[in-house]
Amino acid sequence: MMIKLISAIIVFMFLVTSCKKDDVTPPATQYLQVDVIPTYTNGGAMKMNLDSVYTTPEGYQVKFTDVKFYTSTLKNESINLLQSSLFDYRETGGIMLRTSGDYTKFANLQGFIGVDSVLNHSDPSAFPNESPLNISNAGPMHWGWNPGYIFMNIEGKVDTIPDGINNLNHSFSFHIGTDLYRRDFSFTNLNWLKISDSERKLNLKLDLWKFLHNPISSIDLKSEFLTHTASGQQPLTEKVISNFQQSLQPY
Amino acid sequence: MKYALYIFILLGVFLACRKDKVGYKATPYILDIPSHFPDMIIPSDNPMTAEGVELGRFLFYEKKLSGDNSMNCATCHMPQNSFSDPNQYSTGIDGIQGNRQSMALINMGWENFFFWDGGKTTLEKQILEPVINPIEMHESWKNAVKKLDQDMAYRNMFFRAFGEGGIDSTKAAKAIAQFIRTLISGQSKFDVMYKYENSMPLTAAEQSIFQTIDVEEWAGYDIFKSLDGADCFHCHNGPLMRVKKFSNNGLLPNAFNDLGRAHVTNNPEDNYKFKVPTLRNIALTAPYMHDGRFANLDEVIEHYSSGIHMSSTIDPLIEFGSQGGVQLDAQEKYLLKKFLLTLTDNNFVNNPKFKDPH
Repeated sequence: MMIKLISAIIVFMFLVTSCKKDDVTPPATQYLQVDVIPTYTNGGAMKMNLDSVYTTPEGYQVKFTDVKFYTSTLKNESINLLQSSLFDYRETGGIMLRTSGDYTKFANLQGFIGVDSVLNHSDPSAFPNESPLNISNAGPMHWGWNPGYIFMNIEGKVDTIPDGINNLNHSFSFHIGTDLYRRDFSFTNLNWLKISDSERKLNLKLDLWKFLHNPISSIDLKSEFLTHTASGQQPLTEKVISNFQQSLQPY
Repeated sequence: MKYALYIFILLGVFLACRKDKVGYKATPYILDIPSHFPDMIIPSDNPMTAEGVELGRFLFYEKKLSGDNSMNCATCHMPQNSFSDPNQYSTGIDGIQGNRQSMALINMGWENFFFWDGGKTTLEKQILEPVINPIEMHESWKNAVKKLDQDMAYRNMFFRAFGEGGIDSTKAAKAIAQFIRTLISGQSKFDVMYKYENSMPLTAAEQSIFQTIDVEEWAGYDIFKSLDGADCFHCHNGPLMRVKKFSNNGLLPNAFNDLGRAHVTNNPEDNYKFKVPTLRNIALTAPYMHDGRFANLDEVIEHYSSGIHMSSTIDPLIEFGSQGGVQLDAQEKYLLKKFLLTLTDNNFVNNPKFKDPH
């Protein structure tokens, strides 16, 4: 009788312990952050600060007051990373995007500089509140009517009269938008830096020296200081977006 | 054993009859947000309730908040002027004038900065200021609360709004903020033009309004957003008719040498920059600019056309500043003004929910 009882207890304990579910720790969320480091030096090694005065090769004094741009449809082939991001150097510093994702899947990254055509013509109030495309977040980066978003916005002041008087009294303003001027990018062999076990970061460089002083298509701020992608501004618009596209590269 | 049964039954009856504690729960308030507007982000510590909004309306028009019981919020934010002040400078209870024009209270629930220099970052914080400002209502919150507390109707309204007894400045500010968040303007002719241009469906009522928009108003809108025209859209854009920024729009410094945003940031790069206001109901909110220097829309248009004063912090988007402005001719000025008048929302200024309840 005693033996039967002990056997039953042993069998029971075995069944109970064998059925116990192991504690499963869910994998920690992995975050990816992409930073953009604007630079303005020949060679592009020194960080550019807004409102700081620099000197162009022509001898002009120049300062940048705003650098903003959208990217959209960020992915690696068929693996999506993010619908859109807004880089706003003054408001958010160097952060272009931060999202959850597995860096091993994004050794390469493709997307648009600008906003995908469908998104570009959607109701800007209808995007989720946290979306960079929501009109509350887009602010002046949306034109307010159907042409949609400003894809790229660089503004500043320049003194084009080398008279020694540093009054920076001449504004420049490049606002590029409309579907025709959306450009794509494709970065390969990306180096995601480990920030912590759950966070990786990718640095991009925005070489504003190369943007203005591209050896093939330089922008002379004395005469080429304004485009809003309007009719009659196509040559400068094309030059600006092309130079911008070439200036944005992995660091 | 028999006694135990009686005790048990008695206990059962007692427990069954015990009244549960009843917590008062205010009624959620659903904002009437136009379909083409973004969501309004409501602070989690001040949810909108019908009782809170109603209390806020009473407080907005309550003169007990001023030192001599002569002023309320509406003294400088008059409903018929789209909650602005037709005077260049508002005058406080001691007869002292300020040096800035009272801002119109329109669609404030979408703002992140308050006052012309953005010195406050929430509506609740902003509301606390005019009461204690010696050149405005010149009253301590302690006294104001004491006066309110002597009124049983207010004690009841505060209880209903916040589910607990007691009146304080934080609750008062929260209630007024709730009321101000209901001051939504989105039913002007411009709204129909905006929706049409962005391919958004129009309601039957909007279709009717659409039919009344004349060619001059459309032409004025074209000038408004044309780079070769008035070039206004860089700062006055989207359904809220403004962008979130501080801008030096080429005004000559005034006698007060008001530095604007730089007062808050202490950054010389912000000298003479002021908050970009909405253009909604612009025809009702004269005089214009941070110091009310322009008495009418014609003077404003003339400023941007030929009166721009260049300085080191002028907004780069004042692109024709070096020429003095955008150089509109008489016809363009006329059409631009025609468009600006489409921003008037009569439903907003005549809304009975916004009127004095006293």
